[in-house]
Amino acid sequence: MPSDLLTLGLDTSAAHCAAALLSGERLLAQFHEEMATGQAERLMPMVEAMLRDAGAGWDDIAVLGAGIGPGNFTGVRITVAAARGLALALKAPAVGVSGFEALACGRAEPVLVSLDARRGQSYLAIIGGGEEAAPLTATPESLPEGMAGSGLDVIGHEAERFAAVTGGRACVPAMPLAEAIARRAHVRRHKPGPRPAPLYLRRADAAPPSDPPPALLP
Amino acid sequence: MSQTLAILGLESSCDDTAAAVVRAGGQGGAEILSSIVTGQGDLHAAFGGIVPEIAARAHAERLDLCAEAALERAGLDLSDINAVAVTAGPGLIGGVMAGVMCAKGIAAGAGLPLIGVNHLAGHALTPRLTDGLGFPYLVLLVSGGHCQFLQVEGPESFRRLGGTIDDAPGEAFDKTARLLGLPQPGGPAVEAEAAGGDPRRFAFPRPLLDRAGCDMSFSGLKTALRRARDELTVARGGITRTDRADLCAGFQAAVRDVLAEKARRALAATGAPAFAVAGGVAANRAIRAALETVAGAAGARFIAPPLALCTDNAAMIAWAGYERFRLGRRDGLDLRPRPRWPLDARSPAMLGAGKRGVKA
Repeated sequence: MPSDLLTLGLDTSAAHCAAALLSGERLLAQFHEEMATGQAERLMPMVEAMLRDAGAGWDDIAVLGAGIGPGNFTGVRITVAAARGLALALKAPAVGVSGFEALACGRAEPVLVSLDARRGQSYLAIIGGGEEAAPLTATPESLPEGMAGSGLDVIGHEAERFAAVTGGRACVPAMPLAEAIARRAHVRRHKPGPRPAPLYLRRADAAPPSDPPPALLP
Repeated sequence: MSQTLAILGLESSCDDTAAAVVRAGGQGGAEILSSIVTGQGDLHAAFGGIVPEIAARAHAERLDLCAEAALERAGLDLSDINAVAVTAGPGLIGGVMAGVMCAKGIAAGAGLPLIGVNHLAGHALTPRLTDGLGFPYLVLLVSGGHCQFLQVEGPESFRRLGGTIDDAPGEAFDKTARLLGLPQPGGPAVEAEAAGGDPRRFAFPRPLLDRAGCDMSFSGLKTALRRARDELTVARGGITRTDRADLCAGFQAAVRDVLAEKARRALAATGAPAFAVAGGVAANRAIRAALETVAGAAGARFIAPPLALCTDNAAMIAWAGYERFRLGRRDGLDLRPRPRWPLDARSPAMLGAGKRGVKA
């Protein structure tokens, strides 16, 4: 069994199942499998197999990292619910790691991170620039002034198109997503923050009923 | 066989997040050590109905909290628990998925067996938890999402005698409340209004009473109620309190009559020695009284579990999990959340079942 603190990172925020296992800061194992459906069935058996191959068991996990999106609502919930259940049973800290934080992991310089928001848009956040503002939704054409012409490098969805507007370079993530989530969880393990919760950035699609009730006569 | 087991149950298939610990297998029968139910009425109030995405969001962030609360109230640690049971369907898939994943996390982390439970089996087996009822018996499961008569022959053996071919009565109660400007959930609001109304003023249909068997339909009743309301509104620009009470009374009487007559037929067809009701609509006193009368006439024992165990809860899931556990059933970490999962796989698909299969 590995001797250092084990950290498990999980992510199902898009059409994939991904996990990574760290021993201390050393990457022991990871997988990233594309799949459009079935993550709820596949995630845990795949993690169990990864743990077994690494000579570890579930109860060896000391820290959990959960990818909280933004991304596919259902997919994000799969990871968040599993991580919260594991954290309860293992009495281990669970750290929610956003896709922005994960994609910027390993970079020294501030970077604009772009995640696919569908409908032709991106979710955007600047990571590493000190105080972090709330993510926003934009296209390269609608990039706000503070970001356009900022010279910021861009990582993620449509990175080249956004970089053309910021004047920075389009970069690739320093490491796979699940590994980044595990590394960020490891760093933040002493201050895990609130329990992992999905970062939706979009309201649930719901409208009030269109048929008003009748007037009540005296 | 007399080994005492403590089962942690989780439920999240509709708009209640629930966790419970049930102890069973000892001499004194089953005991509910804790039962936590967190409703979501406030979250859905503005939309006039349950919004699946809103429900799923709440479940994902509440299930572990409910499980912790259930363990704490039971005075137990996970190391005292023998298995984790979870609703694996049927229901709103986002919520079911959150429940199944949370249960998988707990089971894996604590090294406990995982047991997937059919939500309907949870309701149908509740009389065994509350009253120690033996097999076989007849159960009417009547709620906001379901309506069916089941002959319960064993923990995993159910025969469906009939069910709704369209809407469930609970949904019709909610719709009636919305149409008349009454609050949600509609069941208690409509029942309270009906108490002061004249059930004979409006001639509402009793759908499918002219048809043999135990199938039911409630969508036409909703339409009839809307039409009656609209006629009043067009004529006078609104409805009076008396109109509203009479509409509620007429609607409730129609539902009551259909359920009672179909229950009579189901009892006659099965000769069941006991008749139990389950589901939120079983809380309606007029309906419950009619069903009790029908049971009495058929010489069957009538069982109505306490309201908190009629509506969605996790004690019933823990109990149904215990019943499966005792049969040696275990599920793997690949347990699949299922939006559709009929209890009775033998009976032909119900009319009105979607192209993706029978809902329940």
